[in-house]
Amino acid sequence: MKITVNGKQEQLEVQTVEDIVAHYALQEKPIVVEADGIVLKREQWATTLVREDSKIELVHFVGGG
Amino acid sequence: MKKDTWQIGGRELTSRLFLGTGLFPNPYVQQEAIKASGAEVLTFAIRRVNLSAAEDDSILQHIEQGAFTFLPNTSGASTADEAVRIARLARASGLSDWIKVEISANERTLLPDPIETLRATEQLVKEGFTVLPYTTDDPILCKRLEEAGAAAVMPGGAPIGTGLGILNPYHIGLIVEEASVPIIVDAGLGSVADVAQAMELGVSGVLMNTPVAKARDPILMARAMRLGIEAGRLSYLSGRIAKKKYATASSGFDALKLS
Repeated sequence: MKITVNGKQEQLEVQTVEDIVAHYALQEKPIVVEADGIVLKREQWATTLVREDSKIELVHFVGGG
Repeated sequence: MKKDTWQIGGRELTSRLFLGTGLFPNPYVQQEAIKASGAEVLTFAIRRVNLSAAEDDSILQHIEQGAFTFLPNTSGASTADEAVRIARLARASGLSDWIKVEISANERTLLPDPIETLRATEQLVKEGFTVLPYTTDDPILCKRLEEAGAAAVMPGGAPIGTGLGILNPYHIGLIVEEASVPIIVDAGLGSVADVAQAMELGVSGVLMNTPVAKARDPILMARAMRLGIEAGRLSYLSGRIAKKKYATASSGFDALKLS
């Protein structure tokens, strides 16, 4: 399935947001996911389905002032 | 003297220094500088995870969990809508519902867009965030942000990272006089003299990053800033003397006349 992750187009065999997070081995990291403009709680990852052309953002805290 | 604490969004604070977490030479120096600063509130930015780096190092692994209040910012936003989106992402981390609204519309100055900042503040207050907008040092705008429900208002001293100090102390003083929420000078400070001046103008606290992180010795500078803030605060509470044009002898003239 063709999905845009952090602005980059990817070809991934995934069904849920959790699958995407797992693909990048980020399950244990303090990240936040936005799927098609909706900010998800961690417990929603497994139940949120992705579809062709979904736009996924994986973000986290970085140093800043 | 009674303990000199203050409050934001129901959280009682002792330290008056909010410290940014960017630009430090390495995690060890950052950790030690945070300790030396006495800061209880740390700021962060929200960015995309770098998916091509094998081990994308999270800044949070170097920060003791539970010991600090986290103040994520909306840097990178140039509109209210973008700031609201970043704020929601930050809150979904479960780490904090505080948000520093930071909306820059000009890359060269990074000065905050006042209209978008007010719009974002209104929206985020509605959504239940504890909102601390970074704004220009306009007294009327600062009042409007307070009326919109900001938990504290953070006028800039000078553009971010410039170290120019407080360019308009008259305005900062006026903003403090008019405010009923804490005023925090955010951005543009460079030295201990600047933070002492801010505190003497009566602000509740200062937020800084570059002056500590980019000092030759960040850990030592963090301590200097802590002491400068304390000194400035005590000076403000003590009430400085009025300025006069001519001299006043410290001992009087009458005690001993030699003629």
